[in-house]
Amino acid sequence: MADFKTPELTGAVTTPKITPGASRHIKQFIAKPELMEKVGFPPQKASDWKEQFIRKMGEVLKKYKSVKVFLDICVRCGACTDKCHYYLGTGDPRNMPVYRQELMRTVYRKYFTTGGKLFGGLAAAREISDELLDEWWVYFYQCSECRRCSVYCPYGIDTAEITMAAREIMDSIGMGSKYNLEIVHKAETIGNNLGMNPDALKSTWEFVEEEIEEKTGVRAKLPVDVEGADVLLATPSADFFAEPHIYSLEGYAKVFHQAGISWTLSTHASEGGNFGMFIGNYNHMKTINKRIWDAARDLKVKRVIAGECGHAWRAMYAFSNTLNGPFDFLQHKSPQHICEFTLDLIKKGALKLDKSANDEFTVTYHDSCNVARASSMGNTPGDQFTIPRELINAVCNKFVEMDPNTTGERTFCCGGGGGVLTDEVVEIRVKGAMPRMQEYKKIKDSHGANFFALICAICKAQFTKVFPYYGIEMEEVGGVHQLISNALVMGAKEGV
Amino acid sequence: MNGLGNVFNLLAYAAAAVFILGFLYKVIVYFKTPSPLNIPTTPGPKTSGGVVMRLIPEILFFRSLLKGGAAEKILWFGGWVFHVCFLLIVLRHLRYFTYPVPGFVMSFQQIGIWAGLIFPLALLILIVRRFTNDRLATISLFADYFVLLLIIGIGLTGILLKYFMRTSLVEVKAFILGLVTFSPAPMPDSTMFTIHFLLVLVLLVYFPFSKLMHAWGVLVAPTRAQADNPREVRHMTPWA
Amino acid sequence: MPTLEFEGKTYEVDEEGYLMDWSQWNEGLAGVMAKEDGLELTEAHWDVIRFLREYFEKYQIAPMIKILTKELAKKYGKEKGNTKYLYELYPAGPAKQACRYAGLPKPTGCV
Repeated sequence: MADFKTPELTGAVTTPKITPGASRHIKQFIAKPELMEKVGFPPQKASDWKEQFIRKMGEVLKKYKSVKVFLDICVRCGACTDKCHYYLGTGDPRNMPVYRQELMRTVYRKYFTTGGKLFGGLAAAREISDELLDEWWVYFYQCSECRRCSVYCPYGIDTAEITMAAREIMDSIGMGSKYNLEIVHKAETIGNNLGMNPDALKSTWEFVEEEIEEKTGVRAKLPVDVEGADVLLATPSADFFAEPHIYSLEGYAKVFHQAGISWTLSTHASEGGNFGMFIGNYNHMKTINKRIWDAARDLKVKRVIAGECGHAWRAMYAFSNTLNGPFDFLQHKSPQHICEFTLDLIKKGALKLDKSANDEFTVTYHDSCNVARASSMGNTPGDQFTIPRELINAVCNKFVEMDPNTTGERTFCCGGGGGVLTDEVVEIRVKGAMPRMQEYKKIKDSHGANFFALICAICKAQFTKVFPYYGIEMEEVGGVHQLISNALVMGAKEGV
Repeated sequence: MNGLGNVFNLLAYAAAAVFILGFLYKVIVYFKTPSPLNIPTTPGPKTSGGVVMRLIPEILFFRSLLKGGAAEKILWFGGWVFHVCFLLIVLRHLRYFTYPVPGFVMSFQQIGIWAGLIFPLALLILIVRRFTNDRLATISLFADYFVLLLIIGIGLTGILLKYFMRTSLVEVKAFILGLVTFSPAPMPDSTMFTIHFLLVLVLLVYFPFSKLMHAWGVLVAPTRAQADNPREVRHMTPWA
Repeated sequence: MPTLEFEGKTYEVDEEGYLMDWSQWNEGLAGVMAKEDGLELTEAHWDVIRFLREYFEKYQIAPMIKILTKELAKKYGKEKGNTKYLYELYPAGPAKQACRYAGLPKPTGCV
């Protein structure tokens, strides 16, 4: 399939030997000048890019406590070194979180610390250079901002914060990621990452309605731009395009239908995801997020619910109140996750479920990084782990857990998060998925797991892509609401 | 000796000033630098009381390190023992800074001496792991060895002073008390004490400009110091 | 900017070989791209390409995969109206390989 070797599934995640430069060649495409200008960045590197670079870095250091403090206080204890899935998959030392950060720290020392200014190389301070910038380009796009390193760090240092800052600095000198910026541009101008215009959306949603009707005999509607609906659903646009994403979309529609809840999709806010976050750009994140709240206001809904998407949930749960709040015009003043919402309905007895519909599956659940470590659900810390599991157990008879060292807050990233989900870097995606694949293979062999349940669009797309590299059928990837969809008994209106 | 004593006195005041002002400066910078977004690592506490409860075990027991594997267990052991010994040694040394010596300081004398003996061993663990593990060797910088060696130096000169090259405790106490009370006294006539003392000054000066600021950073790193409460509180900062 | 040569004409493509201007497309180009991949375009391949172009002309975007497979099912029956069959036709992925042959831009997002 490609000119690299897919890691072998040995049944254990082992720490690799250090192999300098092992993933140095894996690079994202640089955005063309036209695209850069469209999203408000300089078209390309100018002759004075180094001054711009340092100026921007100074600005970031003044704006973000995380970056400032983290750059200062790391003691290089090494606790993070074997926690990153990209290091485990490649052995490239630059994928050890602390050594990835060192790319920024070395520049920080040179221009912003007394020691670095006085002692230079002895204080491990380096001037910014074309070569160093190229390393930034490579390795700050080999971080999926998954925060696993932060869990094990004695001070909670989060490489995601450093990566976001690095991408922001690179964007500001005219060096942006084609993949990420194309998506930012489409989300801001058309309204979703895919670039589906309202006509395309409407025809697709109608198609999904027909699909549901064909399968169940019941036409569960996917209402479009309905003013006065109770619920606005903001879900990743991948749910309107890809498999298995679409099956969860069917699931949401069926849940709403069966519970008798008036809901709507919005052609204006047709995206839950927010790539502004991945590039660490506050304004883009705000602009993209704003569409959801504008739509909520215009449609006069009572609450906003987020579909299955990890980073969208972080942006909505943790950031949107700051970015575009407060949401006093809503009855439910903060966005809810579809999993919270559905579980609540199930507990109220509003849905009739037939677990046996999923009997062909032995399900395991992969905690997505942004849900696990960057947001929460429910009322108590950790509910983001129990709620999806409760849901699965409510609709499936066979549920098995992967190694607890790789679930919950310790979960491994899928390998495609944080703006890494693009084909030109498929090698890092495949290798970065290795730790999770080891665990899935293990639970397949030991417990016959054959359904890999997810609540993240990126995870779904990433695993669908990499499963075949590891000799596993892509059909084993699915959504939690896909399972719910399977088990939901349609028609028989009971409960609310 | 009085003239030389004055030089050391001046150095001591300079070092103390750099340490205190440098540390305060960093504290203020960290305080003033905003955190535009709510970014606690979750699951995290929902209230500030919860944040305190999250930070206490991090500070007292390095809790997150305990989540790691074998390498982190060794690190935890070396690091924790080192920090505890350091604290005990500092407490023991308070007897040189106070008159009359408070009772609690006296109660730390014996345990402080033991701590002083274990201290270099803990540091040895920390330094050996830096070159015996290929990942650690890759990430370690000159600064990492420098500060470990500096503190080992302080520890060893302390042991030498205690057991092998004893100096007049009366002179030492007079000198230190003189510093504390701003009525300078002569430097004790002991090369070993001079070295011990100067190494401590180097540590003080180095502290605020180095990774040693983790001592404060652990309290303010937003991933741990923020409450996970975006539903209850609209997190706002001036620039954003 | 990388280019693609066909019958004396030069076409601009992006880094991954997607046509920059979808309106410049012609059937010959699809053949050239397939040949480079060592793929022989059968009638079923062409059905996919034609459907993609029709859909794109109407909606300025490629259709959901499911819509595509359903279209195939209409013509070739249920056993070929599925994603598996699409992958048999286009091993690098229907969205990515078939869209490219059809001159469409690459789908973006979490797909």
